[in-house]
Amino acid sequence: MNDTELDQLLDSWQAPPPPRSLRDRLRARFPRAERRRFTHPLRWVLVAAAASVTLAIGMEKTGASPWDFRVGQAFTGFYDHLVHLVDMHHASYTVGIVRNSQPKVYINGQLAGSLQFKHATRIDVDVPGEGVFSVMLVRGLNGFTEAGTIHGNVIEFQAGSKQVRIECNTQLVHSERPVSVRIRR
Amino acid sequence: MRLFDDHHLPLYRFAWRLTGSAADAEDIVQECFLALLRPGCGFDPGRTSLRTYLFGAVRNQALNRLRRREEARAIESTDDRTPETEALRDEMAGAVAAAIAELPESQREVLLLAHYEQLSLAEIAEITELEVTAVKSRLQRARATLRETLAAYAPRPERTI
Repeated sequence: MNDTELDQLLDSWQAPPPPRSLRDRLRARFPRAERRRFTHPLRWVLVAAAASVTLAIGMEKTGASPWDFRVGQAFTGFYDHLVHLVDMHHASYTVGIVRNSQPKVYINGQLAGSLQFKHATRIDVDVPGEGVFSVMLVRGLNGFTEAGTIHGNVIEFQAGSKQVRIECNTQLVHSERPVSVRIRR
Repeated sequence: MRLFDDHHLPLYRFAWRLTGSAADAEDIVQECFLALLRPGCGFDPGRTSLRTYLFGAVRNQALNRLRRREEARAIESTDDRTPETEALRDEMAGAVAAAIAELPESQREVLLLAHYEQLSLAEIAEITELEVTAVKSRLQRARATLRETLAAYAPRPERTI
């Protein structure tokens, strides 16, 4: 049997075409585009923050009655809440950058572990042997403890007995900030 | 989805021929495209072409599935599904499928990529992480084996009196 005859024989084994539904099923499994949850509320946050600061300064200058004091406290609480929302917006923005910057996870200096982006403001890091750690770039959240920092293009934190380093190909922040983590399982 | 449209057909064919299963081939192709979108995806356009990378990804997944299948068969030999049984629609195609399935894994994947997907030896070398010379020799060995196995199906020369 020569080469041409063998080729003809091999060509008799044809693969079936893929089903048409394959494309649709793949499309259905594509991750949704990053949602920009805080974009619209952010405008109102800034307006309300400016209003509350102006009011607080005004109350300070005119002398406050007990009633005014309670109103002032309410505004202060509201202001804290607004600041928290701004922090969350910033965290969401940073997580989006991490997601799109081909992050590499190093555990104790070795390339290992994996990331999941199930939440707009959180990164879940699978640390082999230690569990899944949720990393939050917002401070003061219940259940989270400060365990590392984010600086330049790197997020570093301690996960149990292991040092985790997430390296991105894009700058994430301009100045060093703390990160908080919580073990999930 | 343009990437999918450009590449899915040869990838599907390759996966189907390696695993002998349409369901496995679909899963493998889906996984390979989804993996491209995941963070930490190993594709580096500076090092390899997308086509080569995708074929390599299909190959790895298909081999993993084949190994798992063989392990399962070793434990419990109730699954009769083989690449041969699924492909035996007509005798010749069935014989070719069976002969290819009998080849050693390293020769089979080289033959599939070279003959059915028309990839160059250099591309196959990159996908299989072998030297080009090793790819060439495996391809030659595979074809030699098939020539013997399929000799009965060779076109008979016309007899002249």
